[in-house]
Amino acid sequence: MSALSIVAEGPGKYIHWGVIQISVANLAIIGVMILLFILALVVPFPSHDEQADEERGHSR
Amino acid sequence: MTTRESELSTKETADPKNWTNRLRGWLEGLVPKGQALPDRQPVYVASWIYVFGVLTLTSLVVVIASGCVLSLGGAAWWHVSSLGHYVNSIHLWSVELFFGFMVVHLWGKFWMAAWRGKRALTWITGVVLFGVSIGTSFTGFLSQSNFSAQWIGAEGKDGINSIGAGAFFNVLNPGQMLLWHVVLLPLGVGLLTLMHIILVRRHGVVPPLDAELEG
Repeated sequence: MSALSIVAEGPGKYIHWGVIQISVANLAIIGVMILLFILALVVPFPSHDEQADEERGHSR
Repeated sequence: MTTRESELSTKETADPKNWTNRLRGWLEGLVPKGQALPDRQPVYVASWIYVFGVLTLTSLVVVIASGCVLSLGGAAWWHVSSLGHYVNSIHLWSVELFFGFMVVHLWGKFWMAAWRGKRALTWITGVVLFGVSIGTSFTGFLSQSNFSAQWIGAEGKDGINSIGAGAFFNVLNPGQMLLWHVVLLPLGVGLLTLMHIILVRRHGVVPPLDAELEG
């Protein structure tokens, strides 16, 4: 990417909602983080060996 | 010649007035024995939400490593060479992932009230670390040595001045901002990360709320 193309980049797209003003890029990142958070809670964690997991649970 | 343990007198190793002994005792007592690098965790840790702390730490390692490579060549290198652009992008995107993972880690720990069980200091060091990381990122954007850095500096100066810090923290001074970015703030992030990890290892990973109620 040349220096000229950096200068010539257009302004980002913004969403206006009352007093709230946020760029589409930032809103998308927040959306992805929320999605990641929900997935981290609901997606089952892979377990290689249930026996070993049980041992770990009882070892504490 | 190697000194063997048996060759040292008991008095020599246990003298409480000896500051080396005291320091060694303090270091050895930082985490319970065997908990510095445990290979087993409680069963409730088998959840993706518990992975985001170590993902944040892994991103930080990439951030620091790519930052070290950038400092080898400097701005004249990362702006003009394709390898420099690549390493610069690695540095930027590892920071993006660092903050993304850290925020998910923060949400997870907030909703499981991770300050329970004498873990208040673990929570506090995490919060302060988040703040210092934002400052490190901010000075990084000011150190880009391009128009973006100039614009951020010009916009940021009013905010810094409004809290009375502009006299000694001048965001329009790229030399000062670069040194804060590569020396002072990473030192703060490193020390706080070390403290945070030691506290996690010292008190263990916080159990989920329902696990504690059942227990």
